[in-house]
Amino acid sequence: MSSVFSRLYVGNGAFDIVGKRIRWYIVSAIILLVCIGSMIFQGFNLGIDFKGGTKIALPSVSASGEAISAAAVEDVFAKAVPGKRPTSVQAVGTGDSATIQLKSSTLEQAEVTALKSALVQDLNPRGGQGSVSDSLVSASWGGEISGKALWALFWFFVLVAVFLIFYFEWQMAVGALVAVFHDVIITAGVYSIVGFEVTPATVIGLLTILGFSLYDTVVVFDKVKENTMGLLGLTRRTYAEASNLALNQTLMRSINTSLIALLPVLGLLIVGVGVLGVGTLQDLALVQMVGMIVGALSSIFIATPVLVDLKLRDPKYVAQAKRVAARRAKATGPQVAEGVESTDDEALTADLRKEKAMAAAASVPHRTAKSGDARRRPTGKRHR
Amino acid sequence: MAPPAGQIRPAKYLASFVLIVVALYALVFLTGNGSAKPKLGIDLQGGTLVTLTARQEDGAQPSEEALNRARDLIEVRVNGLGVSGAEVVRDGNNLVITVPGADGEGAKGLGQTARLAFRKVLGQPVPAGTPATAPTSTSPAPSSSASTPPSATGESASPPPSSDAPQGRPAPNLAAQPSSTEPSSPAPSSSSAPTSTPSAPSNVDPKIAEEIQAAKAMRQSTDPQVLQQAALMLDCTQPDPLRGNDDLDKPLVTCDEKGEFKYTLAPVNPPKEDTETKADDYSNYSRLTGEDINDAVANNNPNGTGYVVNLDFKSEGGTKWAAFTSANVQQAVAVVLDGEVMSAPTIQSAITGGSTEISGKFTLKEAQNLANTLKYGALPLSFDSSEAQTVSPTLGLASLKAGLIAGGLGLALVFVYCLFYYRLLGFLTILSLILSGVVVFGVLVLLGRWIGFTLDLAGIAGFIIAIGITADSFIVFFERLKDEVREGRSFRSAVPRAWVRSRRTILSADAVSFIAAAVLYVIAVGQVKGFAFTLGMSTVLDLVVVFLVTHPLVALASKSKFLSNPKFSGLGGAARQGAAHRASVAGKPAAVKEV
Repeated sequence: MSSVFSRLYVGNGAFDIVGKRIRWYIVSAIILLVCIGSMIFQGFNLGIDFKGGTKIALPSVSASGEAISAAAVEDVFAKAVPGKRPTSVQAVGTGDSATIQLKSSTLEQAEVTALKSALVQDLNPRGGQGSVSDSLVSASWGGEISGKALWALFWFFVLVAVFLIFYFEWQMAVGALVAVFHDVIITAGVYSIVGFEVTPATVIGLLTILGFSLYDTVVVFDKVKENTMGLLGLTRRTYAEASNLALNQTLMRSINTSLIALLPVLGLLIVGVGVLGVGTLQDLALVQMVGMIVGALSSIFIATPVLVDLKLRDPKYVAQAKRVAARRAKATGPQVAEGVESTDDEALTADLRKEKAMAAAASVPHRTAKSGDARRRPTGKRHR
Repeated sequence: MAPPAGQIRPAKYLASFVLIVVALYALVFLTGNGSAKPKLGIDLQGGTLVTLTARQEDGAQPSEEALNRARDLIEVRVNGLGVSGAEVVRDGNNLVITVPGADGEGAKGLGQTARLAFRKVLGQPVPAGTPATAPTSTSPAPSSSASTPPSATGESASPPPSSDAPQGRPAPNLAAQPSSTEPSSPAPSSSSAPTSTPSAPSNVDPKIAEEIQAAKAMRQSTDPQVLQQAALMLDCTQPDPLRGNDDLDKPLVTCDEKGEFKYTLAPVNPPKEDTETKADDYSNYSRLTGEDINDAVANNNPNGTGYVVNLDFKSEGGTKWAAFTSANVQQAVAVVLDGEVMSAPTIQSAITGGSTEISGKFTLKEAQNLANTLKYGALPLSFDSSEAQTVSPTLGLASLKAGLIAGGLGLALVFVYCLFYYRLLGFLTILSLILSGVVVFGVLVLLGRWIGFTLDLAGIAGFIIAIGITADSFIVFFERLKDEVREGRSFRSAVPRAWVRSRRTILSADAVSFIAAAVLYVIAVGQVKGFAFTLGMSTVLDLVVVFLVTHPLVALASKSKFLSNPKFSGLGGAARQGAAHRASVAGKPAAVKEV
């Protein structure tokens, strides 16, 4: 009766994600193992910022309009810095931004100066002396960047855990953090497996994935929280079913937000690779791309299932699930789950009423009302 | 007309947003230099960037005080290069030197330790402004105690239990005794600059090296005639190529810190080739450098008003200081930092025991400054060059262009998607994104002006990624709106409900993003900081735009009959479903409200 798309669009709980969570756990465990294995056995392709080294870039067109070949640059290097060899010389970028990039082990500042003037004299690149860029990095610098990044990671986890416990509950905090951890390991693993170069920009990108992946998870958990409010007093559905419904209701939203966030990154990647060839833009875009895709998937397939498993360790929820089963056994005929619905109508109406009162009472723009106040007000309705 | 109860007043929100934008751009155009350009990083405009990392021999954490002092010193050195717009910024244990433009190569040699030395003052200091009238005092003739004060501040050095010499007064400086004691024993046979330049950094570019050689030939000549000539010609307003590059075993003609006086100074140590001077000859040579100093503190003057600096030598230094001061009572000794005279007190009496009090008309700040110079002159920190990069202006421009193109492309892709998927709401998204961009740009310009925030390539990438996050909060709102319409509400009544619900989600999701950015900003170094800053800033501005623009605009649209037509709003599908839902609910009224 319904295509995948319309099931997506309607979001009536047609995809049983939570129910089949063992499957997702196994899939993700396999991927994680492969990634960790690759990180241990293959390691990373570290850029000069981590190993230390010298990088020189010059326009690949000479002042007279001729192309400068990589081989010519290598010759000049051999002449200007006898006894050393560049580790790589490659032409990158297109159009006006086309450059030749030369990398080598760390040179002395004097050697760099000599090499630069030799390059300008012999090859005469467009723009003269000022057109040659160089970068000299000591090996300890990369260590410092990544050391700080690890600290940032640690404190991030601590703060976010505190925030989520305060805002949601500890089970949700654990679920969200498991998902983020999963994202970071898989993204790093992809880097290790494919052998992309790791630069400080990559590390930056990796750290921002954290924020993004959590963003997605928070959106889903918000709906889960809403759907399961007052659940224990009902026998309509179990916690697992309510979460699954929340997942389905937010599925389109998750897909949309991920897609929209991916589009600018895609632009970044196209320009980074196509125009400049190498550098910050490309590195950042690449890691974000991988991370966002994994992040979107994990907020759906990992975060919520983990949350459900944690919740079902609580006897209250197990008992409630039994009651639901018992009620269903008694009921005649199959129960069809309702479509989209909200279970927090009462809280919402209270919020709205509060807002209405404020808008009417004051001519100043309304402030965000504390939702707690609204709930404490006697409403004349039944409270559960 | 009062709005119906329960509805917000969109005009108020929009007006407050307009007010913010107007105020922002008034600040942009009416304060500062009025140019609406953010401050660009080295990788976008071309230039040189050097990151120096402090390393202490025992691996301990360098003190704040030492780091700040080092920053100030290196800034003085950078300004000595004579390039404009150079900056030195502290970033944790790192000092980041940025020099825009093409002539920053010299900045790569600035990390060497600052050198403090004591040099005996030869002759009278010459006021810097009037080079033509003052030459007499530099002549070796024993001028009968010139009545001009020897230094601008009339400083004097004495043992701390105050000697009977009155302090704080301009001490009559008995000018350097005649040329018999001049260090001319090795004879000015080779008056041209010697080839060995032990202290000059080996890694400066040839042009600067040449300047240093030329300055040395004049101002560090062993020929008194040449020195005298150099003192005449020296211009204290020009950048000094000898800064930190002077040879300790040669005389030196230099300026004081404020550029007020020119001094001719004796060598610190006798030249190596000089074998005639005995090791215990302190008549000219102080043989003291910053390494001999144990501590220096600024204190209240115990004998009157103002402040003094108490200087304490290490044991060996104290012995040398005692020998030097007893040989040079009533002479001036200059504290020279990186070739610049910081202070030139007159020695009141022989100072034994290593403790010395420097008095003069110091303000507290001056006294502290001098104490710091003495204490940290020879930095307790050494700096490693962690990163030294020069970006050509062409490459910088290409990066800037690429960043802008990437941003444009990303934005365009988001626009197309939004229009396709949300139609009218898509238009509102685009409008909100553009307004968000306007605010971000204004804030960027102001931050560049106020806190020196520089936009680098990583920062641009941060903004581009933030486009996605900004658009996300709109989507959360719109999807909620769809949910409400799908449940059978009209567009108009759905808006407040959807807003109340999505507001919570947007706030919490943005809070998480902001935590990520804040943590990165506080802990990370270098490029990462710029990226984190832009990301965090756009998260905050995203909230401003969602609250003050997007929601009021949607509310306005929902009130307009024409605009809320399902055809435009992109809510057609949801509305049809809502109608069906209503019908089914009407059929079995008890089904929805559960017990």
